[in-house]
Amino acid sequence: MERRQGYGNGSPSDEITRILEDLQRKIPQLPTSGISSWVIGVVLLLLWLGSGFYVVGPGERGVVMLFREATEQTEPGLRYRLPWPIQSHEVVDVAQVRRAEVGFRTVSDGISDRGGRGSTRTVPQEALMLTGDENIVELQLFVQYRVQDPVKFLFGASDPEGILHTSAEVALRSAVGRNTIDYTMTEGRMEVQEQTKIAPQELLDAYQTGLLATEVRLLVVDPPSEVRDAFHDVVRALEDRDRLVKEAEGYKEDVVPKARGEAAQMVQQAEGYKAQRVIRAQGDAERFLKILAEYDKAKAITRDRLYLESVERIMPNMEKFILDSGAKSGVLPLLPLKGLATTPAASPPERESAATPTAGTER
Amino acid sequence: MARFIPGLALALAFILAQTSFTIGEWEQGMIIQFGNPKRILKEPGLYFKVPFIQTLVRFEKRVLTTDARMAEYLTLDKKRVLVDHVSRWRIQDPLGFYSSVRDQQRAMARLDDLISARLRQETAEHNFLDFVREKREAIMAVVTKDTKETAKAFGIEVLDVRIKALDLPQEVQASVFARMRAERERIAKRYRAEGDERAREIRAGADREREVILATAYEASQKLSGEGDAQATTIYAQAFGQSPEFYAFTRRLQAYEKILSNGTTLVLPPDSELLRYLQNPQGQ
Repeated sequence: MERRQGYGNGSPSDEITRILEDLQRKIPQLPTSGISSWVIGVVLLLLWLGSGFYVVGPGERGVVMLFREATEQTEPGLRYRLPWPIQSHEVVDVAQVRRAEVGFRTVSDGISDRGGRGSTRTVPQEALMLTGDENIVELQLFVQYRVQDPVKFLFGASDPEGILHTSAEVALRSAVGRNTIDYTMTEGRMEVQEQTKIAPQELLDAYQTGLLATEVRLLVVDPPSEVRDAFHDVVRALEDRDRLVKEAEGYKEDVVPKARGEAAQMVQQAEGYKAQRVIRAQGDAERFLKILAEYDKAKAITRDRLYLESVERIMPNMEKFILDSGAKSGVLPLLPLKGLATTPAASPPERESAATPTAGTER
Repeated sequence: MARFIPGLALALAFILAQTSFTIGEWEQGMIIQFGNPKRILKEPGLYFKVPFIQTLVRFEKRVLTTDARMAEYLTLDKKRVLVDHVSRWRIQDPLGFYSSVRDQQRAMARLDDLISARLRQETAEHNFLDFVREKREAIMAVVTKDTKETAKAFGIEVLDVRIKALDLPQEVQASVFARMRAERERIAKRYRAEGDERAREIRAGADREREVILATAYEASQKLSGEGDAQATTIYAQAFGQSPEFYAFTRRLQAYEKILSNGTTLVLPPDSELLRYLQNPQGQ
């Protein structure tokens, strides 16, 4: 980590003189026997030499520097280099897949490198971006990457991971800026993702970051929260449209078969009527012909009989007045008191007989 | 003699520390002697210099990033935009860099000024939507190219300038949201109206179908009834035609029974056919 420190070694000469003074003050206190001072010297030398051991863990790569010039890379295991200030080393994890988040941050320290979208928090100034049709859309994206070239990663650019983050943001915004909001939110989503995938790798190479983007994925493509309701309402409207159509189709399903049933009923009724008419007519005809056959045999008698039978059936319930034909031309010869009588039906015979005497007998 | 060994060693170490130095993989250095640059060291490794009279200045060799603060620009169509640009650069010529801007902090400030000025000019020549859509890359390329030229004077090599964010000012955003909302409302209305349209169409179609079915059935039933009536008429005519006179007689009798209901008042002359025996048993 020493590389990240500045170069503020103010005045090295002052520092050294101070250390020397310190040492000189301490030396007289040490046991001055020759052997023990040699032992101390050897122990110090061994300690100094021993400081050159270091461990490169699995999935890591060591970079050894001779006088701070990168000279070799070492594989995992226990390694040795010459001690400071001759050689130094850096260890870089090249296997770990890291993750950069654009538009959001995983709150619970995202060690889980995949899918673990437990609790995230949006970063509006990153997430909100302008589309090509002057709308604003909210996007969240993550980039997975790993170190491809440890030397470049260490010495190629300052803050390579920051460069990756910015490059992804630049590519994403540029891709979104080329498309409309509807396209970005629907079928263009994959295209935006692809465009965002290609561009950053070029930049990562150009800026000597030594990083390799392995995966770019759009997590969220949403309208901004300010207008989300309106967008949701569009979805609801779409549902409403389908519902209305379905309801109308339901109406149709209901009405048409009913009409067909009614039609069948009408036709059946008509058939019935027709059959009935014909059969009845035949019956009537049969009857008439039968009677006629008998009638032909004795016309006058039958005619009279039929007539009188009919009269018998009709007459009893009728009010009857028998008037002389001579009175026809005069004023009404009879006051119809029927309406005033309490029981008109009971007394017609008397009135008939009362009227009878006036009736003339001549004919 | 042995007493002087530690002191001697320390003195030696001190001189060594003053004369030797290393340049890291990510650094470059410049040796200055009495204010005059003597050597430029671009490769990492161990170097020596004359102690005390020569001093070493170290510079970054890596690619550096300047993330400028968001600034407001005006487009050709007088729209205000907020642009956040990022530039990548490195110190190409330590001497030029040292003499013109001296350190990174000031270099960044100068670079930012250069880029902003160029970007302002470029923004003012483009319409807002072009800027957002297809001209973004072109504008960045132009600004990069020009900045590259001008920054050379500071010993800086500009790798590129990118527009990171291109946004609308807060108060404009609000109206954009309002417009987006209106736009969505329009679409929602259209969907609902379309639904209504199709629903009505389907319902009307169903009604029409029903009417047609019923009318067809009515036609068929009327036809059938007519046929029945016609056949019945034929049968009656055939039968009654055998004796129209008798038919007229019997049918009238039937009609009398039906039409002369209770309470009908009948005035009969005593000499009528029916009553002809009433007063005169001989009849005539």
